[in-house]
Amino acid sequence: MTDTGVGASLPRKEDDRFLHGRGRYLADIEMPRMLDVAFVRSPLAHAEIVGIEKPEEAGERVFTARDMDGVVPIRPTSNVAGHRIVGSPPMAFDRVRFVGEIIATCLAPNRAQAEDLAERVVPDLKELPVVASIDAAMAEGAPLVHADWGTNLSMETRFDSGIEEQVARATVQVTRTLDMARQAMVPLEGKGALAHYDARDGQLVVYSSTQSPHMIRNALCQCLGLQQRQIRVVAPDVGGGFGYKAILHPEEVIVAWLALRLKRPVRWLEDRFEHLTAGANARQHRYRMTAHADDRGRILALDAVLTTDAGAYSIWPHTNGFDAIQASGILTGPYDIGGYRVRTMTVATNKPPLSPYRAVARPGACFAMETLVDAVARAVGRDPVEVRLENLVPAAAMPYKAITGKEYDSGDYPASLRRARAMVDAVSADAGPDRLIGTGYAVYTEHTAVSTATISQIGVQMMPGFEQAAALMQPDGSLEIRVGVQSHGQGMETTLAQIASEVLGIDPQRVSVRHGDTALSPYSTGTYASRAIVMTGGAVAAAADKLAFKLREIAAHMMQCTADDVRLEAGELVGPGASMTIEEAAVIWHFRPFDLPEELLRDGLEVTGGYRPDGDRAPFAYAAHAARVAVDPELGTVEVLDYVAVDDCGTRVNPMIVDGQVLGGVAQGIGTALFEEVPFDDQGQPLATTFGDYSVPAASEIPMIRLDHMETRSPYTRFGVKGVGEGGAIAPPAAVVNAINDALRSTGAELCAVPATPRRVLQAIFDAQDRAAGKKEAAR
Amino acid sequence: MTTLSLTVNGEPVRAEIDPRLSLADFLRENLALKGTHLGCEHGACGACTVVVDDMPMRSCITLAASCEGVRVTTVEGFDDDPVVTRLRQAFRDEHALQCGYCTPGMLATARDIVLRHDRPDTEQIRAELAGCICRCTGYRGIVRAIARVIETKSQATAAKAGTT
Repeated sequence: MTDTGVGASLPRKEDDRFLHGRGRYLADIEMPRMLDVAFVRSPLAHAEIVGIEKPEEAGERVFTARDMDGVVPIRPTSNVAGHRIVGSPPMAFDRVRFVGEIIATCLAPNRAQAEDLAERVVPDLKELPVVASIDAAMAEGAPLVHADWGTNLSMETRFDSGIEEQVARATVQVTRTLDMARQAMVPLEGKGALAHYDARDGQLVVYSSTQSPHMIRNALCQCLGLQQRQIRVVAPDVGGGFGYKAILHPEEVIVAWLALRLKRPVRWLEDRFEHLTAGANARQHRYRMTAHADDRGRILALDAVLTTDAGAYSIWPHTNGFDAIQASGILTGPYDIGGYRVRTMTVATNKPPLSPYRAVARPGACFAMETLVDAVARAVGRDPVEVRLENLVPAAAMPYKAITGKEYDSGDYPASLRRARAMVDAVSADAGPDRLIGTGYAVYTEHTAVSTATISQIGVQMMPGFEQAAALMQPDGSLEIRVGVQSHGQGMETTLAQIASEVLGIDPQRVSVRHGDTALSPYSTGTYASRAIVMTGGAVAAAADKLAFKLREIAAHMMQCTADDVRLEAGELVGPGASMTIEEAAVIWHFRPFDLPEELLRDGLEVTGGYRPDGDRAPFAYAAHAARVAVDPELGTVEVLDYVAVDDCGTRVNPMIVDGQVLGGVAQGIGTALFEEVPFDDQGQPLATTFGDYSVPAASEIPMIRLDHMETRSPYTRFGVKGVGEGGAIAPPAAVVNAINDALRSTGAELCAVPATPRRVLQAIFDAQDRAAGKKEAAR
Repeated sequence: MTTLSLTVNGEPVRAEIDPRLSLADFLRENLALKGTHLGCEHGACGACTVVVDDMPMRSCITLAASCEGVRVTTVEGFDDDPVVTRLRQAFRDEHALQCGYCTPGMLATARDIVLRHDRPDTEQIRAELAGCICRCTGYRGIVRAIARVIETKSQATAAKAGTT
């Protein structure tokens, strides 16, 4: 390790511009003759479009699906047998299927005027019956979201390892139904896109607030019938993504098409109302879980049914089945369980399409599994931590092949839980006389940097393969790194420079990391799945290796020795009798070509390196979380008094940044646990449309989260790193609800749904009181 | 249209504006001061907070027309402000920002907290920050950065008191 390489908590290179308000986000870009977009969106969850009345004098500034000749709706693909799948149309043609679906697009010189125009467009809608929940959609004779399917079941999967033998041995059965509500992801900067045609380059240039520029280019090429070389996608500074910006949005297709058609720049900026309604697209899982265990709570088999409320269309590229596939593939979590049977159902409803939100389905899966483990512990009368320790995969079993087929590469799961217990127990908060205190735990393991093999099995149009990075040594020996992932808070301008510094010994202050622009960087599927530091970090190291070799060859020629005799040390090329700096070698290649033989001149100092983990195997990060809460049984309110996370993401490239990723993830997870929900009424109307009713936790709701780390190097990755971007968000719903249930143990109440709003907490208490009264009645 | 005169970041500004224009849109669109960010446009997230006559104010729900004669300071105008200078360093050291979108509003709010408090505990700082949403950091770094700047301010005050 160098003091600027892997392992250094280097201050971030990107901070300076943000602290001076000099970032450049999508809304900050202006172009001459630019038009702003406002959409006319459906006020109904299901309706036939009978007609659309445009204001007479402004008709040429209003566009509908009928104007979009030649635009092909995106077609998501899947390898799951029988998967019924329909991508979002850019604009609705003859039918709308959720509140917020786009009916018309209005253009004006600014957003306010575009909204004025949108108000004057009158869609004539004929109301159709709505299915706004899993139960409504799966009921006998339910109205159909897509009539030609003959059902609302979009996808069904089954897996059965054979559980009869384990079930026969089990003495305890515990069954629970667990619900996670629908959420909005709420990056603080809304989604947005600005497109214009650049005649000089012969390119449609699309600025998009996206995590995955090349994927958006792939999609736009399909929709618009253009070649890849004819589209450039640029992600400027992006104000948070969390998965919301890792998918194609219909609005991106519309502004791209309009820019081509009008030959003028066209821009759409999502506002918060649009985000909380049309963008309310995350989580919403229901689990029916049965654990078959022995008297000590050792879980022998897990039998589960998972249903997702997947909305009206399939997002691209991951499809609407992504949550179900992910959750069923990781449901047994960090536990050694011998038998597993799972059925998943992905159900279409008249709601926005289900999309992958930070950690995708894992917060739901962890919530279901970990609350079930606590229920098992209660059933056998043992401490939930002890029951966990008995079920967790032991360190000695690593690498461990789980019953799901996944291989957990490394780590000590029980040790992380013991540390979390020691940390949280050390705090005793004074919660006041009227509140009940409880402690809850959750442990997860997380498949990070998802592999080519995993993605290719499910057949979606997103194929990670080998990640690429370019390293361009400049004539003065400074270095430009170009990568296809996009950094939107993860600090990759710093960490990738640290990796270059680790390999080359170059000062990170002499390294620039360019990202998020298809015109600049090698191809990449983008930033998602906690993959960037593993995949792109590895690719940067590979490119730096190549560059190091070339520099050593140049130095060797100048020093009259062989490249093998030259070592790279702290930016110096050190030979047996002499040394030169990287800068000197760069200057020789660029300005003194006459000093070098042809074979060293032929391929310059601009290289591309490719990387994926050894054997295409993914590293599994993991963590144990513990929450201590105070519950007011009269009001149903919950305060998180203390929160502890002990995570293991292998080698930490920048420990400060790792802390930031975990802290931010935990805060979002606490939002999922206690506050965040977009409820819909039975007509599919979203009921949380402002931050007044959609509660995002502020500093007042988030305690000073405490962290500890373990560092078990992954055996398969460069530097031993594992992904860490999503993990923090996985465990909080489980840990917080387990803490609430621990606090409520004297009342007999048990909460089985998140967010644990005061209404749900009180309902659980009332239900327990009713059960107790019923028992007394029966005894009489 | 309405005529508006005010001071923005120390410069006198005069403009003809639409009466419905918000202060945020005026700053961003008319003056090209893009450092003021819009996160909700209904006064709930705090990203657009600027300083108006020494008070933090949500520019998204402040009408520009109501700002006649006031002094507005945006993130672009804090370079000579000693408190914000210290906050910037502390935000960097405590990793109090990730995507940077909430940061200008956080700085304007944090400056106000630093100016009004001498010995707040963590709970107080958290409560004072309740009107600002950060979706990335989990707030710990922001709270610590503010605490650190208040601490140095208190030390400076104490040192000054000691010498007189």
